[in-house]
Amino acid sequence: MAALDLALVEFLNSGVVLGCASRDSRLVPRSTWPVGIRVEASGEEVTLFLPVATAEEVVANLRDSRRIAIVATAPADHRSLQLKGQVLEERLATDDERSQIDLYRACLARTLEPHGVPRASVLRIAHWPAHAVRFRVEHVFVQTPGPVAGQPFQAPFRPPEPVRS
Amino acid sequence: MISLRDIPECFEGIIPAMMTTCSLEGEPNITEISQVHLVDDRHVALSHQFFNKTQRNVRENPYASVLLFSPRTFDQYRLQLRLDHSESEGALFEEMAARLQVIASHTGMCGVFRLLSADVYEVLSAEHVQGFLLPPDPRLDPPRRTAGRLEAMARELRGLQAISGRVNRAVCLEGLLESVLQALDEELGFRHSMVLLPDERGRLVTTASHGYGSGGVGAEVPMEEGLIGTVAARKRPMRVAGVGAELRYWRTIRAELQHAGRAPATQEIPLPGLPDAQAQLALPLLIGDRLVGVLALESREAMAFDVWTETFLNILANQIASGIDRAASADDEAELPAGAAIAGGSQEPAPRTRVFQLFRNDDCIFVDGEYLIRNIPAKILWKLLRANAGNGRTEFSNRELRLDDSLGLPEVRDNLESRLILLRKRLEEKCPEVQIRPVRRGRFELQIGCRIDLQEKDSAA
Repeated sequence: MAALDLALVEFLNSGVVLGCASRDSRLVPRSTWPVGIRVEASGEEVTLFLPVATAEEVVANLRDSRRIAIVATAPADHRSLQLKGQVLEERLATDDERSQIDLYRACLARTLEPHGVPRASVLRIAHWPAHAVRFRVEHVFVQTPGPVAGQPFQAPFRPPEPVRS
Repeated sequence: MISLRDIPECFEGIIPAMMTTCSLEGEPNITEISQVHLVDDRHVALSHQFFNKTQRNVRENPYASVLLFSPRTFDQYRLQLRLDHSESEGALFEEMAARLQVIASHTGMCGVFRLLSADVYEVLSAEHVQGFLLPPDPRLDPPRRTAGRLEAMARELRGLQAISGRVNRAVCLEGLLESVLQALDEELGFRHSMVLLPDERGRLVTTASHGYGSGGVGAEVPMEEGLIGTVAARKRPMRVAGVGAELRYWRTIRAELQHAGRAPATQEIPLPGLPDAQAQLALPLLIGDRLVGVLALESREAMAFDVWTETFLNILANQIASGIDRAASADDEAELPAGAAIAGGSQEPAPRTRVFQLFRNDDCIFVDGEYLIRNIPAKILWKLLRANAGNGRTEFSNRELRLDDSLGLPEVRDNLESRLILLRKRLEEKCPEVQIRPVRRGRFELQIGCRIDLQEKDSAA
């Protein structure tokens, strides 16, 4: 089991691009775009929000296999992390959780706008109703392209390198 | 299943894709990938640069899933894939390796990583992810009228016809290049373009440019370096969309290497034109298999150049190549048509003195301490200035330059016209008091509007 420190929690809450991976019983993988994330207070569990409109097969896989992987990437500097773990719970997101989804969408729109994706397009991503998938984080891997990509994460999480563009 | 050829923009690498694989133990793995290459309607290829978890997974369990995005509409597409085979040579591999090195060279990473293989995947299914986007909200995203495809194609065809006409009417190399670049802007909206011609040192010299202000002419690109050098070496057109994202990706790798104490020694090579270009297209100008130049275009719009643009501009590139070849082999001393000679400036000598220094060991001329020109164009200028200083001579012919062994012009395909264009433009930029004006085809006049002080030294050091 891995606990996420404050720097990682801040990173995950900063409007990073998320991806959620699953696989079926034949080990055929399938992924979807989450519309929100929440790190639980313990830092050991994460709840991911997946839109009902596009995530049905992925949610079915997660329900069946209980294995999940998510990637979080900051487009500005390509810093990236992958979290892997065991699904503990799958249910429909509550009305109280909708504000967290809306907050993520707003952050994501701000993140992607400088990279040529119009804010209006991001805000059009189907997001409600959503599944809430809570999982226990077992492994955290560095996914930033380069020599340490794929290696287990070791604190501290470095701040972004200056980006010249 | 949708046709992959209907979504070419998803394969431009502008919005990174996501790739999911699974180990034999049932552990899914997901990562961002910078580009998916379209091979044909049933196959895509992914670059294999690193031995990572994704690579290990697909080699034990060949299935993969990729999410792609349209940079135009932000629609999402899902490809279900199965690894078919890997290629480490051949056309596909060479194409992907060249593309990798183009961007790597701009970030000082050329040769640091090499393509290990082009992994070709069979596309088991390709679907438009229905419901990913909600209908547009007119308050946030007001509908815009965009030209229909037929309308746009008609406009492009008219532009092509107009430019083709200008190529045919051009009477000299300088007129040809300037007219074409101007027309690319006026007729087709390509605001930033340049033509580079090869010289005897195997470098490409910017001989005409448009949309970059007064500078740019004379800038050199080594063969095989960056997009332009790679296109020249491979003699095949290349496009890079989403340049900013690609540069960020490679700069991240460079920063990670530096952090790990494995920083590459090479420096970043600036982009040839716009510092903030988002799309680049370079086309070789070929006569048969012989390279006579490179036409390069840039844009701040990531999607400025697509497959269609590349295809129809290639037709134009062939015409420009023929025009360059024709201008280079034209009769040396035919009369220029009326208006073709470039008007001269004032003949009144100004009191100013300009100091020209030749550094013999470097074949290089400075004017008032500032670099002007080097190599054969420098030798030509020195010959003209000395003749003028010696006997006041002002009119010269291409033929006499060709017969002067001391200039070092190659016996065949000497590119004299392009060297004179380069010299003329460098003078216009750095020393407008000295001008070279064509008077007839194959003859030109040296016009001097200042006092000249000629100095010779061995080297600048």
